[in-house]
Amino acid sequence: MLFTMSRVTAQAPAAAPQTPPRAAWTVGSQGPLPEHAKFTREQAESGAALFVQNCAFCHGKDAMGGETGPDLTRSKLVTADKNGEGIGAVVRNGRLDKGMPRFSLSDADILNLVAFIHTQQDNALSQSGNRRGVEESDLHTGNAEAGKKYFETTGGCVKCHAATGDLAGIASKYSGLKLEMQMLYPRDVKPKATVKTKSGQTITGIVEYEDEFTLGVRDSVGIYRSWLRSSITAKVDRPLDAHVDAMSKYSDDDVHNVLAYIQTLK
Amino acid sequence: MALAAVAVTTVGLHAQNVDSTMLKNPPKDSWPGYHGDYSGRRNSALTEINTTNVSKLTLGWAFQTQQNGQIKATPILVDGILYFTLPDNVWAIDARNGHQLWHYAAPPTKAFHIGQRGVSILKDKLYYMTSDAHLQALDAKTGKVLWDVEVADSKKGQWATMSPLIVGNHVLVGASGDFDNLQGFLRSVDPETGKTQWTFFSTPTVDTPRVAYSGNMWMTGTYDPELNLIYFGTGNPSPVLNGKVRPGDNLYTCTILALDPETGKLVWHFQPSPHDTHDWDAVEIPVLADGLFDGKPRKMLMQASRNGYFFVIDRATGKNLLTTTFGPVNWSKGVDKDGRPIPNPDKEPAPDGRLIAPDESGMTNYRSPSFDPKTGLFIVSASPSYSLYFNKPADGAYGWAGADYGLWSKGVLEAIDYKTGKIRWSHELGDRGGSGVLTTAGGLTFSGDSKGNFLALDTANGKTLWHAGAGGGIASSPISYELDGHQYVLMSGGNVLFAWRLPETPVAKAAPAAAKK
Repeated sequence: MLFTMSRVTAQAPAAAPQTPPRAAWTVGSQGPLPEHAKFTREQAESGAALFVQNCAFCHGKDAMGGETGPDLTRSKLVTADKNGEGIGAVVRNGRLDKGMPRFSLSDADILNLVAFIHTQQDNALSQSGNRRGVEESDLHTGNAEAGKKYFETTGGCVKCHAATGDLAGIASKYSGLKLEMQMLYPRDVKPKATVKTKSGQTITGIVEYEDEFTLGVRDSVGIYRSWLRSSITAKVDRPLDAHVDAMSKYSDDDVHNVLAYIQTLK
Repeated sequence: MALAAVAVTTVGLHAQNVDSTMLKNPPKDSWPGYHGDYSGRRNSALTEINTTNVSKLTLGWAFQTQQNGQIKATPILVDGILYFTLPDNVWAIDARNGHQLWHYAAPPTKAFHIGQRGVSILKDKLYYMTSDAHLQALDAKTGKVLWDVEVADSKKGQWATMSPLIVGNHVLVGASGDFDNLQGFLRSVDPETGKTQWTFFSTPTVDTPRVAYSGNMWMTGTYDPELNLIYFGTGNPSPVLNGKVRPGDNLYTCTILALDPETGKLVWHFQPSPHDTHDWDAVEIPVLADGLFDGKPRKMLMQASRNGYFFVIDRATGKNLLTTTFGPVNWSKGVDKDGRPIPNPDKEPAPDGRLIAPDESGMTNYRSPSFDPKTGLFIVSASPSYSLYFNKPADGAYGWAGADYGLWSKGVLEAIDYKTGKIRWSHELGDRGGSGVLTTAGGLTFSGDSKGNFLALDTANGKTLWHAGAGGGIASSPISYELDGHQYVLMSGGNVLFAWRLPETPVAKAAPAAAKK
């Protein structure tokens, strides 16, 4: 097994007051451990068994990432969770937009899962030295000057973005892998639609749902509205298509250079 | 009507003897194996439902499993009874009305419960793989367990989802498991006793240094009775994202194998992904079809592989006839003289990440494609996608040994002309789709989109002719069969099975005698 249950009550590393506090958006191998409720060894062990059955294929047996699912020991949500209030909601409701299904588990089972996940995070964060997975320092291989040039010329990024405009301070908001993923494909940016109904009404809004037959938008006052596509004409603006297009053109050096440039936009 | 229906459903009265002869040539009122027949084409000869009337398709019945999880199984049909599964559950239901005959709840196990792809049948026994990689023989009449043998030790990290392939006197099974460094295999089991007849190992034993492990065979293979060869794809190597510790091609991982079913001896092999470092199993269905290629009649094997390449291979010799991509691919340096992609070492996972197309779930995955002989189209649910792959020394050389993150993907049905590899039509599915594909001689392509819409398309051009909302994710591959003279199409949405058919034609009233004069 990859995980060892013997370290359930992981000890925090000796306090190092000179260590700067961990940034709010991520967790790393320095700094104090996140605070959470105390769990028993039995809870974590039951949670480990449930985790293997239900979660491990995507998130890895050790919760450090598997097929398609993220490393939970680096999860902001896990770090912020105290006693299952955050993790439990995700388990119950799923994250359907990201491919995570809902799980119908009892409250006790969910708490056991929470105990296991927190234990694994404590274990991971207690590791000294070179930790598995992606650290921010792993991503400092690009050349910011070359990245700036790519951003302004070859990449065509300036058609939509400005370093002193929409991207000002972006590297203070995100960092590390999160910043790189945002740069390549900011998945929280949704398409915008202009819908004309048969009665002649025009509605603009954010696309919340679309398939071949139905279109759903949230309008300017926050109301969700949907139509059969056959009953409307719709124009959908998809700003992210340019990001998909860019991914077919980037070399890996381009990616690292542009990232190095974006990292300067603090 | 009701009495007649009861009479014909009674097991045993008109029992179809599921033996080698029947499995080689299944009657139209059966679907006795995972692919229906042995070819993996998932192409039904039925024509009652066709391009002219599919818009009238209506619900025959629905069966609620009342369980968690999505149905990923292909139901099999024998004697008017459908058998299908969810992890830890097997059902027998009446194919005419969805009425449950029996339900077997297997003892829960601690193994991964990511899916179960169905049971297989020979004579009076069903063969079911438990999540913890045991093979169980069930009495088809009652669901009672007759015997149980361990196929792989789940405590070491293997688990099972597959529907066994039954060929002659052999039940062919494998297991999954690349989260650990384990030896992949295909095992032939005696259908009466459960005893192992032979085992083919994909890789050397795990104490061998500097080689790849895994190469698990976790999907149902196909079979050519004339050549007497079985075809199975093997999974990716482990350690998964760290290729440095396993130099070379890493045979027989990510490989299509042609084996002798009597002995398990390897006859030929073709490797879609030499030295894979992206988790791209080559287990996707090896589809068998005969036809002209470059003007010559050929016995072909076709695979749309997870790594983004489509292959046509001469299935008698293993010689490659065509290699092409069916979506964005950026990890290779082209194709070698034998038709194998050449992996680009610069695209192996690295400490600062590599931008890779397709992503880890691949350009396609385990859901079945379909080959339509009439149009020569190979239709596959594809997922153009990009991702970041990382590997550094701290990730080690065990199991996953790295990290990867999907950036973007979408779903599209691609209709590939097998003679040229060109895509003749594409049908957008929105996000990555979960459904397999069925084609029919009625000119139809059945599948589903990512939002849970069942779709019937015109196979000639990919246009939608019918759709219905399932209210749940579609994660299985459709089947079709005829019962009492009428065609059914069976699809799953969420944890519910749906049987579609044309409306009952009103019984024509006997013409008054006077009118005949």
